[in-house]
Amino acid sequence: MSRRAWLAGSLAAGGALIGCAESIPKGRQGVDLWFSYGGKNRQLLERLVARYNESQPAIWVRPVFQGDYFECLAKLRTAVAAGAAPALSHVVGEVVPYLAEAGVLEPLSDYPGAGELDFVPSLGQAGTWARGAARPLVALPFNRSTPIAYLNGKLLKEARLEPPRSWDELTEAARALGSRSGAAPRWGFECPIDWWFWVALVGQAGGQIIEPNGELSLGGEAGAQGVLLWQRLVRDRLMRPPPGRDYNAWEVVNQDFLAGRAAMIWTSTAFLRYLEENARFPVLAAPLPKHTRRAVPTGGTFFVVLRRAPEDEKRAAWEFLRWMNQAEQSVDWATGTGYLPVTKQAVSLLETRGYYQEHPNDRVAYDQLEVAMTWPWSRSLFRVQREVIQPRLEQAVLTGTPARELLDEARALARRELGSSEVSPGTSSGASSGRREVAE
Amino acid sequence: MRRGAVNLGLLAVGLVWLLPYAWMVVTSFKTLPEIVEAPTAPLPSGLPLDAYQEVMRSLPLGRYLFNTLVMSLLIAALQIAVALPAAYALSKLSFRGRGVAFGLVVATLLIPAQVRFVPVFAMLADVGLANTMTALVLPFGVSAFGTFLLRQALGSVPTQVIEAARMDGASELYIVFGMLPRMIVPSLVAFFMFSFIYHYSDYFWPLVMTADDKVRTLPLGVALLREQGTGVRWHVVMAGNVLLSLPVLGLFAVAQRHLLRAVTSRGL
Amino acid sequence: MSLLRPRRATDPLWMLAPTLLLLAVFFFYPLGFAVYRSLFRWDLLTPPEYVGLDNYRALIESGELISAFTTTLAFSLVVVVGAMALGLGLAMLLNRRGAFAGFIRSAIFSAYVVSWVSVALLWMWVLDSQGVLSAWVSALGLTPLDWLGDPDVALYSLAAVTIWKIAGYAMVLYLAGLQDVPPVLYEAAALDGAGPIARFRHITWPLLRPTSAFVGTTSLIASFQVFDVVRVMTQGGPVRSTTVFVYAIYEQIFMNLRVGRASALVVVFFLMLLGLTALQLWAWRAKRGAS
Repeated sequence: MSRRAWLAGSLAAGGALIGCAESIPKGRQGVDLWFSYGGKNRQLLERLVARYNESQPAIWVRPVFQGDYFECLAKLRTAVAAGAAPALSHVVGEVVPYLAEAGVLEPLSDYPGAGELDFVPSLGQAGTWARGAARPLVALPFNRSTPIAYLNGKLLKEARLEPPRSWDELTEAARALGSRSGAAPRWGFECPIDWWFWVALVGQAGGQIIEPNGELSLGGEAGAQGVLLWQRLVRDRLMRPPPGRDYNAWEVVNQDFLAGRAAMIWTSTAFLRYLEENARFPVLAAPLPKHTRRAVPTGGTFFVVLRRAPEDEKRAAWEFLRWMNQAEQSVDWATGTGYLPVTKQAVSLLETRGYYQEHPNDRVAYDQLEVAMTWPWSRSLFRVQREVIQPRLEQAVLTGTPARELLDEARALARRELGSSEVSPGTSSGASSGRREVAE
Repeated sequence: MRRGAVNLGLLAVGLVWLLPYAWMVVTSFKTLPEIVEAPTAPLPSGLPLDAYQEVMRSLPLGRYLFNTLVMSLLIAALQIAVALPAAYALSKLSFRGRGVAFGLVVATLLIPAQVRFVPVFAMLADVGLANTMTALVLPFGVSAFGTFLLRQALGSVPTQVIEAARMDGASELYIVFGMLPRMIVPSLVAFFMFSFIYHYSDYFWPLVMTADDKVRTLPLGVALLREQGTGVRWHVVMAGNVLLSLPVLGLFAVAQRHLLRAVTSRGL
Repeated sequence: MSLLRPRRATDPLWMLAPTLLLLAVFFFYPLGFAVYRSLFRWDLLTPPEYVGLDNYRALIESGELISAFTTTLAFSLVVVVGAMALGLGLAMLLNRRGAFAGFIRSAIFSAYVVSWVSVALLWMWVLDSQGVLSAWVSALGLTPLDWLGDPDVALYSLAAVTIWKIAGYAMVLYLAGLQDVPPVLYEAAALDGAGPIARFRHITWPLLRPTSAFVGTTSLIASFQVFDVVRVMTQGGPVRSTTVFVYAIYEQIFMNLRVGRASALVVVFFLMLLGLTALQLWAWRAKRGAS
């Protein structure tokens, strides 16, 4: 055996041992999908992708895990800038307008079958982002959610309570369900101090973040009401503000609920299956309460195709997206996780199968969509969220700084950020206008 | 009697360092229900390998470890290869611009990676090198610190030795790469180990430079175990942590003497 | 040291070429790039727009610069003082023969070898509000602090973790320093009736001064560049209380897509680091001068 052959042989053996990164099979069009879920949801997505790869001979989708949403998004943006981005990824809703206006996203309206996709209107952002506006389709809803309340069924029964339907009832229930005594104190209520839940509170108090005329009001007085509710609950020790930032805080909330340290929590519908499967008590899902009205934001991510990817990869990515939006896949994803079914066909499939009778908890988020608020098409909203609002919410709740003062400050800063003609609430075309302001 | 009391005191101090490690190992042998139910129970109910299996399932661990080792070894080797001739010139040769060259090296001593990654990333991406081993290794080719250290070490080699070698007809290439390294072995070993340990543990650069499993490294993979989605799975994170720490702790156990000498005599 | 003449005039050139080339490409070009880009608004995705000194102005007016600076400084001060005090204390305690003392020394020093990510993850779990430390404090009948969740506490928790990691390094340096102190000095002092405190004040501490300068500057520099623990444990929060300089740079680029503003931060940061480099060189010289 020549030395070179020996070397090649041992290299190959080494490669096999190490398990090289999955490569695209010969003859298939490869598509990388950058994704950002952990744990159970990740396993389900990988199973779905494997099923797709087996279902047809032409395309091979390769899922690549990229950390949490923010990390994946950061990666995606640097990769786009460097021309090293994949053809397919998914991003949080708030950032879609920004990416679209920067010209990064592929318009999908003219791809075959795009007209037939029948999304649940509030999940596809009908009216502001998708069809119904003059704007092309750039993002397909994927893992979409709303915030919901989860209650510890055992404690609720002991206290003979119903899920709270108003802010006052929420306060009372938190008082009744919590216990400060004994070896294991328990919080009545827990909720991440996060922009998403604050937006829900603002809506419930009758406000909205951006007015229909495009003015950034941060809900006006309703914005303050939301913060004040949190401050009262925390001051009276009825609510625990979970430590940690971003998703760290969300995880703490789940953990406290499962361990019986919090009787009632608000978090995403996305955790429904996880909480049900790991709780040692009956988990009861309930809609969020109202103040002056009922309202919830939607959340979660959208699939996007990157414009600079090669044509055949983009076409292959699109084929995969069509497959993912078939009722069967939509249903598997929704029932396996707790996310909402995004197409009307998927919803009717679930209804004909009687799924919601058996799983009333799954129905809660879907019913809540009646009162869902749509996100405006705003280029800089994600920036306002991260830089202006989020730190001030933490500050208000953790240090007790006056809510109205902080929100005034936030409004002034955010307006400077947004500029005057930044927001187009519904119909105007965005792709070409106002490019000058896009950067920073 | 007194010795016993002293040892007890030492143990108490040592526990501040030993207990967190123990806690890491204990946690890695728990199961998800145990973590949720009683996160602070001092002992797991058994020795299930659930968490380790979960780590193996969600990460191509062998691949990550291989990448990490290749990257750290290549960086350390490259740094030494680049630093040796430079250190020789800076410590032994008289030429115009010597002070300036040394100044340039020293000026980069404290520039952290976070300060330079954006242009470097853009540059490497332009030539198709983003997300490759080259992107992980080449930007660390020069270690200002290594150059500085080897310059000091070579400074203690008597000039006469080099003159004698020149008389014997040795080429400069041989002097730099063949003769001198043998005279400063402890410094080379020390620097090699420090470079290796530093880059083995590096988190930031692989975080921003890599995009898939082909080149991802172990610390990155373990940090990814704390992935968002459902809830913290500390038993899995700690199992990953055990696997990440074992190789360096092993190296430390074997080569502790070199490392300590390096720290104390050279002020690393 | 006496210098040799190069054999050929071009010898120094090829010897230094790899170093200088790599420095130019991977250090000086990026720095120049940062200086240039700090005058632009740029989000990586759309064309940059020239804005003059706006980025610097915005950093100053928003208070971000000063807050990143004071946060980093507070962190550094705690780490430097803590690492020096603990390192010296441990060195004096463990400056004895025997396998057991050796084992404890190794255990303490091992934290210096383990990766920052490991240490950060490990301590995040220990300091978790449901973690083992809070449980112990509660068991003693005290109310545990919210180690990572309270904006008044989190920075110091991170500092404590950092001290835990680098104290072994300081200890090893101090141990070497202590072993260089001639025993006769102590004997003479003891004969003169000096107590342990007086001996420390008049013999140990003065003789360890070069070591202290060295330990101080190296931990100052390490703490100025802190990133991994912040990234893993607190992501700069709560309420920006742990947004140190390097994390602020990272956040501006990655989270906020403000490359221009991040570049301005880089420029300021680099100037500060240059100052620290000068300090470092001075300390090395002092140490070498002493040994």
